[in-house]
Amino acid sequence: MKVKKLINIDLAVFFSMIILMIIGVMFIYSSGVTSTGMLISNEYIYQIVWIVSGLIIFFTVMFSDYLIFRKWSFYIYSASIAILILTLFIGKEVHGSKSWFGILGFSIQPSEFAKIATILFLSDYLVKKEKSIKNLSTFFLSMVVAFLPVIFIIAQPDMGTALVYIPIFLVVAFMAGVKKRYLFFLFFSGFQMIFFGMLPVWQRLIFKKDIKFVKILLTNDLFLILVGAIGIIALLSGIGYIFTKKKYFYWIMYSSFLSMVGFIGSLGIRFFLKEYQIMRLIVFINPGIDPRGAGWNTIQSLIAVGSGGLTGKGFLEGTQSHYRFLPEQSTDFIFSIISEEWGFIGSVSVIILFAIILVRGLILVMNSKDNYGYYVGSGIIIMIFFHVIVNIGMAIGIMPITGIPLLFISYGGSSLWTSLISIGLIQNIYLRRFRY
Amino acid sequence: MINNSIIKIKIYFFIFIILVVLFIYVLYLYNLQIRNSPEYKSRARNVSLRINTIPAQRGEIFDRNRDTPLVINIDSFAVNIVPGEIEDNSFNSLISNLSRTLELDPEKIREKIPENYHKQYHPVEIKSGVSLTTINIIAENIQDYKGVSWNSKPIRNYLKYGSISHILGYVGNITTEEFQVLYNKGYDINSVLGKSGIEKYYDQILRGKDGIHYKTVDVQGRNIQNVLVDDLLPENGKDLVLTIDRHIQDLAEEALGERMGSAIVLKPSTGEILALVSYPWFNPNIFYDDQRVSAFRKAALDSRHPFLNRAIQSSYEPASTFKVIMTTANLEEELFPVNKTINCEGSAWFGNREFHCHIPEGHGDLVLHEALEQSCNVYFYTLGLKYLGIDIISDYARRFGYGSYTGIDLPGEISGLVPTPEWKERVYNTKWVGGDTVNASIGQGFLNITPIQMADMMAMIVNNGIIYKPHLLKQIRDSVTGELIEEKKPEIIHTSTIHQETFTTIQEYLRGVITDGTPKVVITTKAVDIAGKTGTGEVGLDDSWNAWFVAYGPVDSNPENQVVVVTMVEAVNEWEWWAIKAANIIFQGIFAGETYDEAIDSLRWGWLRNKRKPQ
Repeated sequence: MKVKKLINIDLAVFFSMIILMIIGVMFIYSSGVTSTGMLISNEYIYQIVWIVSGLIIFFTVMFSDYLIFRKWSFYIYSASIAILILTLFIGKEVHGSKSWFGILGFSIQPSEFAKIATILFLSDYLVKKEKSIKNLSTFFLSMVVAFLPVIFIIAQPDMGTALVYIPIFLVVAFMAGVKKRYLFFLFFSGFQMIFFGMLPVWQRLIFKKDIKFVKILLTNDLFLILVGAIGIIALLSGIGYIFTKKKYFYWIMYSSFLSMVGFIGSLGIRFFLKEYQIMRLIVFINPGIDPRGAGWNTIQSLIAVGSGGLTGKGFLEGTQSHYRFLPEQSTDFIFSIISEEWGFIGSVSVIILFAIILVRGLILVMNSKDNYGYYVGSGIIIMIFFHVIVNIGMAIGIMPITGIPLLFISYGGSSLWTSLISIGLIQNIYLRRFRY
Repeated sequence: MINNSIIKIKIYFFIFIILVVLFIYVLYLYNLQIRNSPEYKSRARNVSLRINTIPAQRGEIFDRNRDTPLVINIDSFAVNIVPGEIEDNSFNSLISNLSRTLELDPEKIREKIPENYHKQYHPVEIKSGVSLTTINIIAENIQDYKGVSWNSKPIRNYLKYGSISHILGYVGNITTEEFQVLYNKGYDINSVLGKSGIEKYYDQILRGKDGIHYKTVDVQGRNIQNVLVDDLLPENGKDLVLTIDRHIQDLAEEALGERMGSAIVLKPSTGEILALVSYPWFNPNIFYDDQRVSAFRKAALDSRHPFLNRAIQSSYEPASTFKVIMTTANLEEELFPVNKTINCEGSAWFGNREFHCHIPEGHGDLVLHEALEQSCNVYFYTLGLKYLGIDIISDYARRFGYGSYTGIDLPGEISGLVPTPEWKERVYNTKWVGGDTVNASIGQGFLNITPIQMADMMAMIVNNGIIYKPHLLKQIRDSVTGELIEEKKPEIIHTSTIHQETFTTIQEYLRGVITDGTPKVVITTKAVDIAGKTGTGEVGLDDSWNAWFVAYGPVDSNPENQVVVVTMVEAVNEWEWWAIKAANIIFQGIFAGETYDEAIDSLRWGWLRNKRKPQ
């Protein structure tokens, strides 16, 4: 039976994954080599250990019916939240974030696994609420499910990982049929939050000229008046809608309420985010602003990638990486080394391998026998996709530096295991496509 | 179960989005890695390629004898710390080791490597001017000095100092202001450059060209092997040979002694300066001590201004020496007959003011050459006011080079001043009056000249109307092979239209000044026959005079063999005759080939022997 199942797994996704992991080990090795050819890091050995153990987990996950995970999803979810909270108290601090949890001499990053747990439970919740899926209350409650872990991840603080939850929620909810206008509401108010949250810092540190609007944001009274005015417009148009049932009242209410939430949220952004984090967001727009500080990483990465050319400088021959111009080479900026040493051919190959996993993965998910499989599968794919575009995007300067790993490739047991569990689940859904 | 086909459409939509985004990424990568790759490639090289300068050896300076250098570079080292190479727990022991070896206050070292430098790989200079012995101690015990390195930083050693220091000048670290002016002339912010004298004037020749050592570094500035670019070797600076004869320089220095003033020995036929003395002087070597700041400040605040090169940077009234120009003017213009007398009664009235002669009872009747010999003021008052007039007087002053720069190859020369009525009206807003002309006639009043201009004036008489640019540089030579690179050629700065006979006459007159005139009792040298003129200028102090003596010798010879000597002793000194005495010793020394000590013996002035060179 098991042999038969093994034959039935999708080999394209499986081998793409294996190749990506091998590339990962190679470049983790490369990042540990100094310019003099001396190996100063054993990270690649650990990564091999993670891969081997991760593959055991992969097969375990693949061969257990995913419905078991569904059954236990609430407990998995609750346990992961409990661990996230625990991490805040007894976690290890690395690079200023308390996101590591030490067990038996190993460090794990609970926020990585919590993503899977959240996908599992969110999907379960949405399947159960199929009947009332269009209700606002369902939207709100599912949002609570998706964003509860985020609170504890932001508290670590680990903005990058926290960000991943947003596309996961949007996509899973979209698949489940939550009203699109709610999702748009979330998307645009979030966008507004970030924009107005960044604006004062940008004005003060970079623009250095007066912007009248920023004064309004920073003066409590004026801000209250602004938010109040928008709130009153929302209220009035809401009343108008109730009495006249005219559609345009509804949309005026919708958009003014959206912007009110956006403004209030921007206050929260300014309150929660540290200045350096806001600065990173700004710097991503123009890394030249601060070439020695926040823009350094982006510029160095761009130079690494750009200087790679068509065929690259050759394995272990990269100058940017071996001369230590690149930070976090084995995790955040591993794509930069690949691009530098293997050039355009190498970087495009990596993207193609990811494209196979993502597209082929979705096609596998399409064979799911139930909606739960759809939701879980699409949640996983969007998670991988988000990691890919943000991580590669920051290496090539089109995404802010958020410090999230390139799954399968970056060094780190937690993210690797998470990736393997993810693909394990996708294969699992695919394997069980015929069992009605 | 909701409609399966809707979900499938959503998933296709999702696939579409993924493919579009990934395709955009590929395009982006194409742009970065293929289209703009050359730019990034060069940036990748630039960022990892740093340069270190290899300092060029500064040229040495010789006097005209070229047997022993006046300035050399001595091996010296700067000790640096690379903080990043020091382990946190060994900082304290390292600092205490260094403070013991370098004899530095530990706190001073700590100040140079503040906490935020501790992870850096850029060397921080702890002390310069460290001897090889000290470096050896560090090198032998390098295990106690982890993170310590050194580099050669030669210091300038002025083997000869004294009055020559005004000529040689000194070097120092470039200042921000200097760097702003010089930044595209091969200087960088760590350059050492000439601050005064020859060191400054010929800095470009002396300094050479620094070489470049290319190295590849990582982000923290750590050195990385396998350099792909060859070093650019430094071009050493050239050696300079000066026109100065250090024996004559010593002679003149000792002859002037500890008297504020200056002395110049000039070769009129070429403009070469054989000696140029200004007292007080400074010792440039003290600036290299640890106490260099305080030593410099002490010298700079000295009220006697030891940094002032009085031979070219101070101007004085020429006083009676100006009668030489007055006489020449009259000989040439023939406005008052040479053999007609003017009666001196000790003073004369012009307008409503009485002008005095220096002998109250008067000189009696004098013709031109007698008036020059006796330095009679009344004669020249009359000549200037009634016959020549201020226009001719200032015209002749200018013909002799007064009021304009001589162009000597030292920085900071001043031009002095030749007054004219227009000038006075412009500056003082009052009219030029007869009294001004009277004053000008005896070289007083607004007229101001530098000692080097005085020497040039006499050079013109000696050369029959030509002044060569006074200069100190004789040759530029290769510092390694000693091969001659450039020989400085004489350069004419003034050619006069005054008749040959006029010069011949004035030369005779000036000889008469020595044989029959005011200085005859002091000029006792038998070594050479000289001609010249004294001058004593009032400076508003009671019984104090700026004393001049300008002379040349030997009188009956070609200009090629002649020298011009100018001595100038400022009013604050007791000996108002000293200018003539000093010149007497200088002529004796030069033409008898004697040192100062031998010269004063020959002159039977042995009582001057105690006046040794002060330290």
